[in-house]
This record gives sequence, C-alpha cells and structure tokens, in this order.
Amino acid sequence: MNITRLATDFAGIKMTTPVMGASGTFGFGVEYSDFLDLDQVGAIISKGLTPLPRAGNEGVRIAETPSGMLNCIGLENPGIDVFLRDILPKVRKEAPNTAFIANFSGSSVEDYGIMAEKLDVDGVDGIEVNISCPNVKEGGIVFGTDPKAAAAVTKEVKAHTKKPVIVKLSPNVTDITVMARAVEEAGADALALINTLTGMVIDINTWKPLLGNVTGGLSGPAVKPIAVRMVYQVAHTVKIPIMGLGGIATAEDAIEFLLAGASTVAVGAENFVHPDAVVRVAEGIDKYLEEHNLSHVSELVGKVKIG
Amino acid sequence: MNETQKLVEIGNIVSNWELSADVNALVLECPEIVSLAEPGQFVMIKNEMGSTYLRRPFGVADVDKDQGLLLLIYRKAGKGTKELAQLEEGAPISVEGPLGRGFSFKNEGRTLLIGGGVGIAPIIYTARHLAKDLEGPKPVILFGVRNHKELFWSDFVENFAEKLVYTTDDGSYGRKGFAIDAIPDILKDYPDISHIKVCGPTVMMKGIAELAIKQGIECEVSLEKRMACGFGVCLGCTFEGKSGKRWKVCGDGPVFDAEEVFG
Ligand SMILES: Cc1cc2nc3c(=O)[nH]c(=O)nc-3n(C[C@H](O)[C@H](O)[C@H](O)COP(=O)(O)OP(=O)(O)OC[C@H]3O[C@@H](n4cnc5c(N)ncnc54)[C@H](O)[C@@H]3O)c2cc1C
Ligand SMILES: Cc1cc2nc3c(=O)[nH]c(=O)nc-3n(C[C@H](O)[C@H](O)[C@H](O)COP(=O)(O)O)c2cc1C
Ligand code: FES
Repeated sequence: MNITRLATDFAGIKMTTPVMGASGTFGFGVEYSDFLDLDQVGAIISKGLTPLPRAGNEGVRIAETPSGMLNCIGLENPGIDVFLRDILPKVRKEAPNTAFIANFSGSSVEDYGIMAEKLDVDGVDGIEVNISCPNVKEGGIVFGTDPKAAAAVTKEVKAHTKKPVIVKLSPNVTDITVMARAVEEAGADALALINTLTGMVIDINTWKPLLGNVTGGLSGPAVKPIAVRMVYQVAHTVKIPIMGLGGIATAEDAIEFLLAGASTVAVGAENFVHPDAVVRVAEGIDKYLEEHNLSHVSELVGKVKIG
Repeated sequence: MNETQKLVEIGNIVSNWELSADVNALVLECPEIVSLAEPGQFVMIKNEMGSTYLRRPFGVADVDKDQGLLLLIYRKAGKGTKELAQLEEGAPISVEGPLGRGFSFKNEGRTLLIGGGVGIAPIIYTARHLAKDLEGPKPVILFGVRNHKELFWSDFVENFAEKLVYTTDDGSYGRKGFAIDAIPDILKDYPDISHIKVCGPTVMMKGIAELAIKQGIECEVSLEKRMACGFGVCLGCTFEGKSGKRWKVCGDGPVFDAEEVFG
C-alpha cells in the first residue's frame, strides 16, 4: 500500500489512509489485531460512548435482512469513565500509530458538552458526535432530526473541546441537507453520514417483531445507494469535509462515495463478515489510483460527472 | 480483548452429507484453524457464493489435527444452512475461527457430557479430548433427541464413551422423556462423576444446571445467541450474569460456568 497516495488529513485528524472502522462495528479497534495490521487502519472509531454505562436493549438484537442487517444493540457500552480509565490506555498501547476517534451521545445538550470535555484528552484524535442512533431515546435521534437541536448540540460540543468535531447525521429525515447546513453553521469541523435507517422485521410464525426493540437500524450493502445519494447532496450543500459510510464492502463501493464528495470513508457491518475489510478497501483504492495514474486519493473527491 | 489467536481461512469441502432429514455433516479442510481449535469453541462460516450476508456460527464438532480437517454438524434451519447443504466436494467456504472460550478441563474425576439436539455437535470433540488427548476416565455421554431417527450421533462418539445413554421425546429408543430424567440413575451408577458439561436448548441446560448446582457437581453450559460478528465487536450476543457482570457469548463464552448463567 502506497501511503503517500492515501495519507489524508481529515479536518485536522491525520490518517494513514482515508478508510476507517465505523462506530459500533469496530469495537475499540484492538479486537481486530488478529485479522489486520492496525497501522493500516485510517482511524478507529469507538463504539458509541455515553455518560453512564449502558446495558443495551433486551431480547434479540441482530437480524439478517436482504443484503444487510438490522441491529438494536441500544448503545451498550461501559460508560465514559471506564473508557477513559481502562480502555483508552490499552488502545493507545496496542495501536499507537492509528488515529482514534471517540463516538459518543447523550440525552441532553449539557450531556454532550460534558462528554466532549471529558474526551478532550491525549490519545483521542477527534470526536464524533452521534445525534443519530435510532435505537435508544438517549441516542440523540431527537437531536438528529431537528436542525435547531442539532445546531445546539454542535455548539455545546465545540465550546467544550479543542479536538476536531465530526457530527454524524441520521438518514431518517426528509431533507438531510437541512441538517448538514445547520450543523456546519454551528461550527462542526466535519460530517459523517449515514447512520442506520430505521427498519423492522416481523416473524410470520409468531406474528411478533423479530427484534427485542421492535425496530432497529438497517445497514450493509442494502443501504449503499441511499448513502451515496445523501453524500452527493450534502457535498453540494456544505464546505466542510465529509466521511461517507453506509454499505461499503469493497474499494469500488468506497470510490463511489469519494466521487460523490466524501473525502474519507468508513466501513461498518462489512467488518463483521470480512474482518480485514478496512485494510482491503484501502488497498483497493490505492490500486485504483495507480491504475488511473492519480497521485493522491483527494483527486477523486467530488469528481462525479453530472450532465 | 484478544486472548486466543483467530484467523480467516478458505476451507474446501471434503464432504457434506446427510445424517438425517434435517441434519447434515460437513468436513472442511482448514489446517490452520484446526491446529488451534479447542473443544467447545466455534467457527463463523460463509459460503461466498451464497445469497446470505452475515457469517453463521457453528460449534467445532470435531477436528483431525493430522489431516487438518474440521467437522461441523448442522441443522438445515433456514436459508443459509439450506444453501450450504447444496454444496458439493471442493466448494470453498470461508471459515473464521477458532472463536470463543471452550470447555475447561480440570479432570479430577469422570465427566458427564450431555447434548440435546444439534447441541450434541461440540460434545463429540469434547469426548474425544477427554478420552484420547487427556487419557482420563472415559466420559459418560447422555443425548436427548427427538426419536430413533437421530441415533446417528453414536457413530461419532462410541469409541470415547464409557457409556452412551439416549433419551427420546417419544420413547422410540432408550428412555422416554428428557435428558435430565436420566441423570439420577447415571449418577448412581457412576459416583465418580465430578463434572457435567452441557450443550443444548436453554430449557434443558437450565434444568440440568440447577440439578448440578444442587448436587455440588461442577457444571459448564454452552450458550447460543444470534451473532453478527463472533469476536466481540457488535455486542449482539451479550447478557448479564448472576454476578452482575456483562458477558459476550462469542468472546467470553460460548461456554460459561453454570452458576453464572443459571445459579
Ligand atoms: C456459538 C453457536 C454455535 C452453534 N453451533 C451450531 C451447531 O454446531 N450446529 C447447528 O446446527 N447449529 C448451531 N448453531 C445455530 C446456527 O448458527 C443457526 O442454526 C444458523 O445460523 C441458522 O442459519 P440459517 O441461515 O440456516 O437460518 P436463518 O434463520 O436464515 O438465519 C438468519 C439469521 O439468524 C441467525 N440464527 C438463526 N437461528 C439461529 C440460532 N439458533 N442461533 C444463533 N443464530 C441463529 C443466523 O445466524 C442468521 O444471522 C450455533 C449457534 C451459535 C451461536
Ligand atoms: C451493530 C451496529 C452498531 C452500531 N453502533 C453505532 C454506535 O454506537 N454509534 C454510531 O454512531 N453508529 C453506530 N452504528 C452505525 C454505523 O457506524 C454505520 O453508520 C452504519 O452501520 C452504516 O454503515 P454500514 O452499512 O457500513 O454498516 C452501528 C451499526 C451497527 C451495524
Ligand atoms: S457476536 Fe458480536 S459481540 Fe458477540
């Protein structure tokens, strides 16, 4: 892999490749060390952290769907304090060269500020504000569907950190560009899109929903065209850089996002199926750049030809 | 977070045959995973030509470390396993493993191994390990099956069993009833039994675990939960133990101390 073609500065976060492991699908990164070289991971994005530990939702949390999956984990996580005390030092020891982005959410605007301040520590290279988890009330979805609330959260976070702030948008809105603009104006350094789409599966033998939480978030290849479309729309609306994700399984998928206007990408559910996916996608992008005589991945960003 | 080594390996199908109308056996050649696999661990497999998305978890039914062969025994339950049953010799399967924490072997006395349904699969390797690898007392084996059409399991464990007992739901073979009903007699006949290891439906494991705890016999159970990843990152498979601690079935288990689950 040719690092000079791939190395990317994403809103101030320095990454060896533009390909990251998406929140909630990449653990804290170190779980992947048997399957890939963490040095070749653009960034590790943590599982969504919350102010207090969360046990998550009861009942079945995973369902396979056509070319994808639904999940309703419910933001199970050890809480911010245990993360800072036990997990972050371990991650920094085992993956010292990989950018680390902490994903988090809260149930009030103040929560978001407190979390941002606690995460303003060495070892965290950037923070990703989740205002889009569809599976829990405290997951921020209320902030993710109302532009005023999203702006308020973004301002609060920015006021409490010096780290680059990425705001992760929900696709469960009528017009994602409205949300993108509101968050940009409130001071976000970058955007990540998309989070999961709300979905549901019913077991026709029992007439009951398959998932314990009734509904869950859809991800995987099935959502990719929606995600590419949203990245394309948002890229034409804002000036801040975009991390594109949703259904990326191959380098070809990732390149679509880059052409649509994302300057970085993240791999989500595909990590479960092929745990070396983040590195394989980066290698594939590099090969594509070489084949097309391009000297840097940024030469692809937003280059989709329309008309 | 990363106690045992695991990897992804393409395993070619050596054979894939029917044991009964709804259960198949599959032998895959995947020497690296086989060399690491311990009794009670599992693998996540994917038929890359198939139409399903996520990998599917299956217990390691047995291994041949010399020849690098992995045996899985699977019930044709849904789409993925039905497609798997169509595959022929030579077809490549992506195998990820070995995953999880298997049975522990302290080996003070004799072990009673109990399996129900396809939960019998991991009992095979466990029995061979006790009888051959550890050269300890041969285990007593108890299988709970539906009827006399499911006696194919005997071929896999006969050589490693001190005694093999069946219960059937309909009484068409062995003792009529549930596996747990046969335990008091077994314990009477084999007072040297110090450990019980169970893999099967939750109701069955719960009953047996409670009995074992009451009698002061060390008991391990092997759990099943829907899994997206199999190695601790999706959090689809977690539960809260009796101690209040949260566990991942895929990484901390699938084998747990019965007290922590049912105590
Ligand atoms: C640790 C572990 C070990 C297992 N070992 C064996 C074994 O040795 N032999 C065997 O026959 N079965 C075993 N199972 C169950 C086996 O994984 C399922 O029967 C199989 O995944 C069904 O796949 P499908 O595509 O045919 O069914 P579908 O219903 O189409 O599967 C849809 C989704 O649900 C999941 N799923 C469905 N049923 C189960 C189930 N009972 N447990 C967990 N996930 C399920 C699938 O993995 C998939 O993600 C094990 C499960 C676990 C968790
Ligand atoms: C099991 C699972 C858990 C997730 N947890 C989080 C989370 O904690 N925080 C978050 O911002 N996104 C979470 N996501 C969303 C992903 O980061 C990603 O936005 C989404 O899955 C779309 O990408 P994909 O199609 O590549 O999976 C989760 C997704 C899955 C599948
Ligand atoms: S199956 Fe993903 S954490 Fe256990």
